[in-house]
Amino acid sequence: MSIPVDWVQTGPAVIVMVGAVVGLMVDAFYPRRTWLGSGLPATVATVAAGVELIARHDDNGAPIFALSLIVLVGTLFVVVASNIMNFENAIPPGEYHFLLLSSASGALLMVSARDLVTLIVALELLSLPSIALVGLRQGDRVAIRSAWTFFLASVVSTAVTLMGISLLYGITGTLDYVRLGEGLSRSDLPDSVVAVAVVLTLVGLLFKLGAVPFHAWIPDTYAGASVMVAGYLSAVSKAAALGALLMVLDVALPYSRETWQPLVAIVAAATMTIGNLGALRQSDAIGLLAWSSIAQAGFLLAPAAALFTLHGLSAPVQYLAVYVLANLVAFAALAVVLRLRGSTRFDELRGLARTDPWMGLPLVFAILTLAGFPPAVIGLVAKYVVIRPVVDGDDVWLAVVMAVNVMLGLAYYLRLVVILLARPEGERYVSPSPPFSVRIAKTTVLLGTAGLIALSAWPDLLLSHLP
Amino acid sequence: MIVAALAVPFVVGLLLMVTQARVSGPYAAGIGAAAMAAALVLYALVWEGRDVVSGEVDVAWIDPLGARLHLGVTAVSWPFVLMTAGIGVLCCLWLVADDTAPALVGLVLVITASAMGVFSSLDLLLLFVFFELALIPMWFVIAGGRDSGSGEARRAATRFLLFTVSGSALLLVGIVLVARDSGSLDMTVIAGGPVVAAVLIVLGFAVKTPVVPLHTWLPDAHSIAPTVGSVLLAAVFLKLGTYGLILGSLLLPDSFAEVAPYLAIAGAIGIVWSGFACYAQDDLKRLVAYSSVGHMGFVVIAISTRSEVGLAAAVFGSVAHGIVTALLFFAAGSMKDRYGTTSMSAIRRGLYGRAPWLAVVFVFAAVASLGLPGLAGFWGELLSLRAAYEVGVVLTRPVAWTALGLALLGIALTTAYFVRAIRLLAQGEPTRQDADRDLDRREVVVMGALVVAAVVLGLWPRTVLHLVDGGFDETVTYHGSYQPLDGS
Repeated sequence: MSIPVDWVQTGPAVIVMVGAVVGLMVDAFYPRRTWLGSGLPATVATVAAGVELIARHDDNGAPIFALSLIVLVGTLFVVVASNIMNFENAIPPGEYHFLLLSSASGALLMVSARDLVTLIVALELLSLPSIALVGLRQGDRVAIRSAWTFFLASVVSTAVTLMGISLLYGITGTLDYVRLGEGLSRSDLPDSVVAVAVVLTLVGLLFKLGAVPFHAWIPDTYAGASVMVAGYLSAVSKAAALGALLMVLDVALPYSRETWQPLVAIVAAATMTIGNLGALRQSDAIGLLAWSSIAQAGFLLAPAAALFTLHGLSAPVQYLAVYVLANLVAFAALAVVLRLRGSTRFDELRGLARTDPWMGLPLVFAILTLAGFPPAVIGLVAKYVVIRPVVDGDDVWLAVVMAVNVMLGLAYYLRLVVILLARPEGERYVSPSPPFSVRIAKTTVLLGTAGLIALSAWPDLLLSHLP
Repeated sequence: MIVAALAVPFVVGLLLMVTQARVSGPYAAGIGAAAMAAALVLYALVWEGRDVVSGEVDVAWIDPLGARLHLGVTAVSWPFVLMTAGIGVLCCLWLVADDTAPALVGLVLVITASAMGVFSSLDLLLLFVFFELALIPMWFVIAGGRDSGSGEARRAATRFLLFTVSGSALLLVGIVLVARDSGSLDMTVIAGGPVVAAVLIVLGFAVKTPVVPLHTWLPDAHSIAPTVGSVLLAAVFLKLGTYGLILGSLLLPDSFAEVAPYLAIAGAIGIVWSGFACYAQDDLKRLVAYSSVGHMGFVVIAISTRSEVGLAAAVFGSVAHGIVTALLFFAAGSMKDRYGTTSMSAIRRGLYGRAPWLAVVFVFAAVASLGLPGLAGFWGELLSLRAAYEVGVVLTRPVAWTALGLALLGIALTTAYFVRAIRLLAQGEPTRQDADRDLDRREVVVMGALVVAAVVLGLWPRTVLHLVDGGFDETVTYHGSYQPLDGS
């Protein structure tokens, strides 16, 4: 079996991979203890991959371009914001950046994969380093346990997906998306086998996305991982999974629509509801974001149920862009808080927007974006964008479930906002002049927030330029 | 001009919130009042006549969604805007007291400006953005009042917010449905929508209005909020609901007809329900809050008839309720400032003897609210009843007349509970308290303005009514492209 290599698609992934290896080599021969120095190859590689991606960009494959761009921007954000871990001595920076970039190249391959073998390889390339990232914190038992949970769940779901893929191969004799689509259009195929094959194939992707009922690993893993790794998992890893899912459904399985459409709709509804209900009970900001990211996965998945309407493919991508940016800003801000104050529990966060407005207000804005509430207009517009194809596809019940979940979501997002804006108890907290590395992370947060504010002022910026 | 009228209070409000303690409270309130007055003047000047969209601004915004920054006032929305701006000025003047936090003035400005934004949006998504924008500031006004820190205030504020947001989330789905069928979010283009959309939109605004049984957030929120909060909630926020229902009846004529009977009956039940609830209240603010449910019931019945008279009644009733209820809440606020409570049994009887002008204003507001002819409250109710009597375009006679009967019963109840309140507070043998004190200058200015407005509207109802007396056929021009329902 020969696999043709399309450099337009794989270029960025290869650059990122090379960057990862170079970073590891540099670290081996010139070990550096600062994260800024160690992260330099990673930063350069991500930027170069972005340049390559934009330079080679043409109009076909717009969703893949958008998804790759989201992955790259997200990775860059994580790399820069990870400076917050400078001198923490818990995580070796060289290995961290190597694993992060390996995983990111897996994410890039995953969204541009055109056959199921590439998909599986990319999925593993994305998963295995990120499992290691979770468990990388030295001497932390919670981290090890989280990594184990993540590992087991990941392996099982990949195995299930492999089973589905082998069934698909057995039915059609091909693994290429396009030919698979053609193969499945024949009417003499046994319906039940096709249905089983399709459902099993989707399991691995739904798992990565954190959709119900494969969501249980998320809160546990996020709690054990360092904050920026959790941010990476919630943003980049999810973007890759969604991208791959959309491509598989759109190109490989359009003729099995009757099988997966109700399934995706139901999973989307269950995911957002259970995610939101879980988030209601949290009293730690990281836990809240973990559960809310499950709920957001439901919102990402919902328009996929209406994939073949006019905006079915662009809507989830646009929502994803907003979600990734807002979520990363929130995680980075929490990473700073955790570093400076040692906890992200609600009682520690009380009054943050007053004591430390340059961290608290961006966090408030990011949370409002996730909630879809003005003044974060872009969040609201994104909600509109994902509801539209669902309504177009005549799934009004799903649209109403989404509406109810917007309300449920607001219940806890607002609780956090109120805590952040409340008058602080006790004496005014004066943060010591932060070290340079913390300032870098803070700058990233502010840049991300500036992006969100710009998008809120002019949502067209995003909506007209992404697919 | 509209952009300036919206931008001034927004910017000033945000600045006041940011500067926090660097300006004194009374000074901040003065600035706020000036900003709102500027907005009021600008909105008054923008008027170009009832047959056109005044002060239209139309700029590209989000092309892929077909949403535009489309602002302008029509014959229907202009009275709402002016009332809102006026109430905004008075709220700021009310805050010219020593213990005002500048941030509260900022919140009031942002809330009022958002409401004016809703009334002057001609694009549904823009309307929705303004609609939501006011909610979080309102949470802080309700929860952060004088009883701040009390869990009760927070719970009331959160309940208010969650009710409204559940409504508005459904509203969003409704808007998407309308946009799908019309291919546009622009009110001047939209022509009809599916019944589901009408149901969702009506539900969304019915929570805000509020229509029974979706009113349960209202009494707590209104009675716990500080005075300006209650005034804004009653005079401005409830109008977002009625204005939205009017819009729904105009933009989705056919599908609205399917929903109208349920709306009419719910409105009528609300009138009677609030009558009984009010009769049992001891707390003056709760009484006024419940009475709002009843007044909104009249407006809802009027809207559901979808007739010429009904539209006039709805617009007039909304504006009149804004003025009269604001006056009632200001009066209740004065009592709260003096006695620390609004419980009628704690304030005791005989206010006529103890604080004559306060008592006079209260009694004036009460009789205006119960619909004494010659005052503002009268015309809204009368026209509403007439609209129900004439049945209108979309209701059937049994439904309309059932609503009419319940509404008549409600009027009797309204009279009964306001007379009871007057007897409990104003009349009787005065039992003096240390806190007895008549109106000060600030209160005289604020309440005086409202009294004058109530009298003017009561004696010359045409000031508002001539705007809409052409009914649905002539008056509401969304650039002439709106096709009214003419029964065919």
